[in-house]
Amino acid sequence: MSNKYWNEEIETMPRKQLEQFQVERLKKTVEIAMGSNFYAPILKERNITPENIKSVEDIRRFPFTTKNDLRENYPFGLASVPLKKVVRLHSSSGTTGNPTVILHSQRDIEQWADAMARSMYTIGLRSSDIIQNTSGYGMFTGGLGIQYASERLGALTVPAGAGNSKRHVKFIMDFGTTALHCIPSYATRLAAAFQEEGINPADTTVHTLIIGAEPHSDAQRKRIEEIWGAKAYNNFGMSEMCGPGVAIECQEQNGLHIWEDNYIVEIVDPVTLEPVPDGEIGELVLTTLNREAMPLFRYRTRDLTRFLPGDCPCGRTHRRLARFQGRSDDMIIVKGVNIFPIQIEKILMQFPELASDYLITIETVGDNDEMTIEVELAQSTDDFALLQNLTKEIARRLKDEILLTPRVKLVGKGVIPQTDGKAVRVKDLRQNH
Amino acid sequence: MKTIKQLSIFLENKNGKLGNILNVLKAENIEIQAASVADTTDYGILRLITSEQMKASRLLQANGILVNVNEVLAIEIEANTSTFASAVDSITDGGVSINYLYTFHKDGKLVLIIRPADIEQAEKVITEKGLTLIQGWE
Repeated sequence: MSNKYWNEEIETMPRKQLEQFQVERLKKTVEIAMGSNFYAPILKERNITPENIKSVEDIRRFPFTTKNDLRENYPFGLASVPLKKVVRLHSSSGTTGNPTVILHSQRDIEQWADAMARSMYTIGLRSSDIIQNTSGYGMFTGGLGIQYASERLGALTVPAGAGNSKRHVKFIMDFGTTALHCIPSYATRLAAAFQEEGINPADTTVHTLIIGAEPHSDAQRKRIEEIWGAKAYNNFGMSEMCGPGVAIECQEQNGLHIWEDNYIVEIVDPVTLEPVPDGEIGELVLTTLNREAMPLFRYRTRDLTRFLPGDCPCGRTHRRLARFQGRSDDMIIVKGVNIFPIQIEKILMQFPELASDYLITIETVGDNDEMTIEVELAQSTDDFALLQNLTKEIARRLKDEILLTPRVKLVGKGVIPQTDGKAVRVKDLRQNH
Repeated sequence: MKTIKQLSIFLENKNGKLGNILNVLKAENIEIQAASVADTTDYGILRLITSEQMKASRLLQANGILVNVNEVLAIEIEANTSTFASAVDSITDGGVSINYLYTFHKDGKLVLIIRPADIEQAEKVITEKGLTLIQGWE
């Protein structure tokens, strides 16, 4: 047995076999979901039974499940087992209506811990590590989810919890912590706390950071790695699927392996809900294959990503997802073209003359949708021609990316409206919008 | 080089934008000697010569206004059209192409602010023609 994998058989399983494995687990999940007041009538109506599931393609016979379904059936409407078999629940904050509740059986908790332990092993963490968790130990799955996984890995686990950077600094120094679990913005804040105490974070024993639960760019990751003199790996999870432990970057740091023994993974067009061609951006849709208290079929995560093509040199056969590219709710359709603000942002960021704030406005002019992109200049110039050429070049490169030519308008600093310190990216002024 | 500093301020076409800039300068008693606006429908460049260019630049930047400090030539001539015409003739006759030009009155004289395509060549031609280049004033 190689010591590279937590579960070599599963992680390197040939695709064909892995799909067969998924089919078996999907059958099992259907059987379990027949115990759910929510899914039982749906499965019956669509004549979905464990016996008539033959291939992974059969997933398309299932309806999608949304966050709204979870809200409307708050709190226990999606339970597939009697509540006496449920040992824990996690819940979202519910700032926009009913919170969502996710139920876990004893087995669910164990399988979740195992999946996240596998993720930790994948990035090189071992039982000899000392892992300090900076997530809150409450309803947020980043607390207990990491705790159980780290203990399953056999690592000494420090449940330090959220906040109190001074205490984190002390623990890291006193215990010789080797790995941290944190959101990317906290990795930067904690590093600042070290610097305030006159300690260079790169001189500490920390060699690995598990970062996630917050969108971040590759540049941000590299900055974190530099400050800490450590490796930082992108970790993906969501409470509806269990919590952290759904997908992780391997040591190649090129895409996140999603654990396909636990999920059927689809990427669909957010409007047509049809699968996008391989490699194109779409919404991630997940079906749980290894959960019993509250399995979910075709759950719309709203996260945008794409499959990375080709095999990973690490040897794992589970497909890789690209770094997340925003939310499907952000998508705009102009003249029949699906456009994600992130595509526009990517182009704008290629111009050193521009600052980072921009605003996309779509309005109806006559019978047409017109798109205007206002973008802040980074610096002034005395050269009029330069500004005119810049505008033209931005429009040209945008057309290559989004297939239509927007009007580009350069603006000064601070002109793009901000709400709560966050720039508003899209303003849709079209009639019937 | 005998040049003076000019402020070039990016100006989007928005109500109140120019007033905002002038108020920043007014609050610190900075006097404007000359101003010129070049514009398209979306934006313009406001070019300013003030009594204290570097201070004005710092103040404007601190107020979130995009400012570029650059060099232009300032020629002092007698304040009449005939001198103006012959000054422009002798500059263009010397092969200098002018990107833009604006003027202002100072102590009874006329000052031409010129941004030529090639500032070094222009400076040489202007000096050879016996015109007076103003240097400095911060």
